Amino acid sequence: MTSVGSGYDLYVSTYSPDGKIFQIDYANKAVENSGTCVAIRTKDGVILGVEKLVPSKMLEKSSNRRIHHIDTHIGVGISGFLADARQLITRARDEAKQYRQVYGQPIPIKVLSQRIASYNHVYTLYGSVRPFGCSLIITGIDQYGPQLYMVEPSGSCIGYFGTSMGKGKQAAKNEMEKIKFTEISTRDALKEVARIIHTVHDEVKDKDFELELGWISMTETNSVHQLVPQNLFEEAEAFAKAAIEEANQ
Amino acid sequence: MESPEWMNNAVDLGTSIMAVEFDGGVVMGADSRTTTGAYIANRVTNKITPIHEKIYCCRSGSAADTQAISDYVRYYLEMHTSELCDDPDVKTAASLFQLLCYSNKNNLMAGIIVAGWDKHQGGSVYNISLGGSMVKQPFAIGGSGSTYIYGYCDSKFKPNMTKDECVEFVQNSLALAMFRDGSSGGVIRLCIIDKNGVERRMIPGNKLPRFWEG
Amino acid sequence: MEELNRGGFTFDLCSRNTLLEKTGLKMPGFLKTGTTIVGVVYKDGVVLGADTRATEGPIVADKNCEKIHYIADNIYCCGAGTAADTEMTTALISSKLKLHKLSTGKEPRVVTALTMLKQMLFKYQGHVSAALILGGIDINGPSLHTIYPHGSTDQLPYVTMGSGSLAAMAVFEAKYKTDMTRDEAIQLVAEAISSGVFNDLGSGSNVDVTVIAKEGVTVLRNYLTPNERKFRGPEYIFPIGTTPVLSKLVAPLSSKVIIEDVVMS
Repeated sequence: MTSVGSGYDLYVSTYSPDGKIFQIDYANKAVENSGTCVAIRTKDGVILGVEKLVPSKMLEKSSNRRIHHIDTHIGVGISGFLADARQLITRARDEAKQYRQVYGQPIPIKVLSQRIASYNHVYTLYGSVRPFGCSLIITGIDQYGPQLYMVEPSGSCIGYFGTSMGKGKQAAKNEMEKIKFTEISTRDALKEVARIIHTVHDEVKDKDFELELGWISMTETNSVHQLVPQNLFEEAEAFAKAAIEEANQ
Repeated sequence: MESPEWMNNAVDLGTSIMAVEFDGGVVMGADSRTTTGAYIANRVTNKITPIHEKIYCCRSGSAADTQAISDYVRYYLEMHTSELCDDPDVKTAASLFQLLCYSNKNNLMAGIIVAGWDKHQGGSVYNISLGGSMVKQPFAIGGSGSTYIYGYCDSKFKPNMTKDECVEFVQNSLALAMFRDGSSGGVIRLCIIDKNGVERRMIPGNKLPRFWEG
Repeated sequence: MEELNRGGFTFDLCSRNTLLEKTGLKMPGFLKTGTTIVGVVYKDGVVLGADTRATEGPIVADKNCEKIHYIADNIYCCGAGTAADTEMTTALISSKLKLHKLSTGKEPRVVTALTMLKQMLFKYQGHVSAALILGGIDINGPSLHTIYPHGSTDQLPYVTMGSGSLAAMAVFEAKYKTDMTRDEAIQLVAEAISSGVFNDLGSGSNVDVTVIAKEGVTVLRNYLTPNERKFRGPEYIFPIGTTPVLSKLVAPLSSKVIIEDVVMS
């Protein structure tokens, strides 16, 4: 890396001569080292899928969760440092709670995303701090319908039909290009997400992984964010494995 | 010399106020009397105050307190609007009123009816009582004059009234309240809000309904 | 002793005063402007009016005080209530508005002054006894407001305040009409104040009028003087030489001053 040793990568308060803040690039690298996270927005909901890499056989199944609830109507998927992400999740929960207290209404996904992005952005301004080494995909349903946003260490906040982050983000994006987001049903999208996570998983480099699926839908979950129920989860994972089998033949 | 009355008495909105929701909007109404003790400080007061484009409130209680609260809510709602990039809901405005009224309840004299139109709920009416509770109601009455017309309103209100029926309901109810309540009077001011905007009307004191006189 | 000399406020006298008050001592009151102040909007401006009596209990403390205060070149404000409070409040807002004008580079608006005044009075919850009539002209045309000590405000085409407000309002209710000329408005305001001067104990002496129009402000101080003293007491005249000069010494200034050159290193 050209930046190493140049002296321009020591603080976020220093720009490199070609206008980069290397610390932010490094934070993005931290995100790219972690398991893939994929989200797809359909007409009536959003699906979140995460490739949770399992570093040890002794790890308990429910530990190191990478899909979290923020409010009843919001769930987030995370990539990068889990400890950093936990800070953002706590902040997001506080924001959601405070918004409810003041305005008597659930926080719109866009507003939450922008507030978390602003929080991230502050950590790109001062020499005494480092940016968060994690990205969030924020999903939910509010008065404007299903919403999907991605918030990055730089403080950017962008809405998507479908997006991905982590190790296999490019491969996942290629897979997603075939999907017609305005037509696909939520249940089909669920299977697609499972398939994409299984497809982009690199069995050579990372042996074990666990699939995590979260969803929220106006028809399926009454606009409440939850982890996908066992039976549907198994169905989706079976579909994914079968599809990969088929592709390999 | 004895201190004059206006020095000791806070300006009071001894008031009759009201709001009714109809399919797609709300009708708000108020008398126009402001008193300091026994003196009418303003006989053409406007107690229906804009909070946002399509959200208004009827004020009762201390004029100073309710004006200050509305100013704060108008400011907070404007801030909220720019974050939301969209028009705020009536419930949001009502929540802000509740927040201020409840957390400062020991220092305030304010009974407020918040009403208006938003694209999610259509027309809606919220009553913020003296203690700072917030209740959504199909119609709400408030102020000192309202005590005289609870029975009338309960008997005459029916759900799903048209806009014109609501206007008549408000006019008749307020006229009754203003005639019985000494600290209400003057003209009736009306405010009709729907998705197309706001229409303001005024019924002069000598043209008030007198249907009960037989 | 060290402890006692650490500085700061001492409230010993406050407790002494409360104790004395309990024993029946009457504390001196504040200077109040038992007052008549009025304002009228006419076709292309605003006319403000005030009497000039300041009272301290039953005593007339000032026979010719000024109650129409300057806020900005295009905004004036009549004050009733505690004289100190009305004067300091209007002066403070005048100063704030000037700074605001300097930072925005725009002519101050009446509603800006109104908002500043009402927010300040509301903050003090009525303890600042200032009842004001705010009049002025800006890009929105002429406007007239009343502000009560608790911070509530009204906007009306004609207003009165102070202990003589009822007397003055009676005149307005009888004779006000829309779109008056400048002269008609001045005449009406003078009449309303006179009504306060003659019928209200708290008001008296002269009539002050201020006209705010687009072309500029006309301050008509003592527009009417209906209470001039008819008989003056003998003036004191002391002929030159009443005080004898015993000695005289003229010392040139130069003998008292030392002039030095300061060399800058």
